[in-house]
Amino acid sequence: MAIITISRGTLSGGRAVAERLAQKLGYPCVGREILQEAARALGAPEEDLSGTLEAPPSRWARLTEERKRYLLAVQAALAEHCTSGELVYHGLAGQFLLRDVPGVLAVRLIAPLEMRVEALRDAHHRLTLKAAEEFIHNVDEDRRRWVKLMYQADVEDPSLYDLTVNLQSISVETASEIIAAAAAQPQYQVTDGVKHSLEAFARACREKLQQPRES
Amino acid sequence: MAIITISRGTMSGGRALAECLSEQLQYPVVAREVIREAASELDVSEEELSRAMERAPRLWSRHTSARRLYITTVQAALAEHVVGGELVYHGRAGQMLLAGLPAVLRVRLTAPISARVRTLMEAERMDADSAEEYIRHVDAARARWVKMMYGEDIEDPALYDLVINLRTLSVSAACDMVTRAIERPDFAITADVKAKLTDFRTACRVRATLASARETRALDLQIEAHGGVVHVSGSAPVLKSGQVGDEIAEIARSVPGVEDVRLMLEWFDPYP
Repeated sequence: MAIITISRGTLSGGRAVAERLAQKLGYPCVGREILQEAARALGAPEEDLSGTLEAPPSRWARLTEERKRYLLAVQAALAEHCTSGELVYHGLAGQFLLRDVPGVLAVRLIAPLEMRVEALRDAHHRLTLKAAEEFIHNVDEDRRRWVKLMYQADVEDPSLYDLTVNLQSISVETASEIIAAAAAQPQYQVTDGVKHSLEAFARACREKLQQPRES
Repeated sequence: MAIITISRGTMSGGRALAECLSEQLQYPVVAREVIREAASELDVSEEELSRAMERAPRLWSRHTSARRLYITTVQAALAEHVVGGELVYHGRAGQMLLAGLPAVLRVRLTAPISARVRTLMEAERMDADSAEEYIRHVDAARARWVKMMYGEDIEDPALYDLVINLRTLSVSAACDMVTRAIERPDFAITADVKAKLTDFRTACRVRATLASARETRALDLQIEAHGGVVHVSGSAPVLKSGQVGDEIAEIARSVPGVEDVRLMLEWFDPYP
């Protein structure tokens, strides 16, 4: 039993690794759908939530309070998933949302730009090389600024993660095997003690979310 | 079978990982030996070679022939160890000296500075301040070397296949993960890989020989080898004597493993 967060750039092949890893370990695999759950808990449409969380930097200043609340809802939804002690999470900001939780294995997946460009152009045949590069660059840049703003950290800083895997020459299968080997280490086992702290964490998140909004 | 390079800051468990891997895999372990072998080849002392390579970039003009000679000789020394397809290398810049080779797993170990300071304090009975100063000094020298030789940032995760943070993971966990990785087909030493490793050694030998020969050491040449056939490209001056091409071919042909030399040079006029 372990909890694994996977941080990845867009189109880096990270989703395939997360899914394969979850399958290998028999764990649930949670990604973007966490936003739906968070929206449901708030009684807000998912588009509002994802639109606000992923708004371009130019709109950030106006949305700060709302965004914090949405993030709290995402954290609470994620915390619920953690209580079973078995999870592969590859959605938003896992390494930060679970920062204070014991025994979480934080993984970062990277891939060379050329590979990501190729993956994007495979999906969108009419995209030019330049447009594809620009798209990926822009998504990365937004993500970087978002993490900087919300957590005062550099998303690419390797010290944020226990393990960084480069998919340049490591296959999806090999990457998931390496991560599984890390997750099998004793320090990531969800013992009864850890289980209690996971439940306490989920409870604390729920309570924080139910507090009346500050105005 | 695979070639494993380990990059790390000082006191970050690199040696312990190398030893663990060699024990589990029965691979040879190489680190400073490569510098020693290169130094003896160059007929300078090991200290002198190390010091020259740690020198600040501003003391080198970017493409001096001396720099080329040092780097190609170190690379050629490493290539001799690589050709067998089983190696743990935890010396300098393995991730770059072996760039582009198949079946190489490039590992970087990181550890929080506090843990590294503690390790050094215990090993050398130092106080915390001098231990931290020492670690930062050695890290900076290594980073400078990589920056100078390759223009890269040693901490850039894109240079490695795996970055393992010893904040929570142990050396034995790292050893376990690396062992699992190289058992996978991604890192198998097939006949094709073996041929590429041999070609790499041949190219390295030719590069180092050309960088040391009086007639050719000033030239910036690119060398590729394919099964005993060596391709030399780059630009060379048309000298009044007109002999440079012949000299390159002759020197390259003298290298063990070379059967044929093909020149694809662009000529330029050194006396415009």
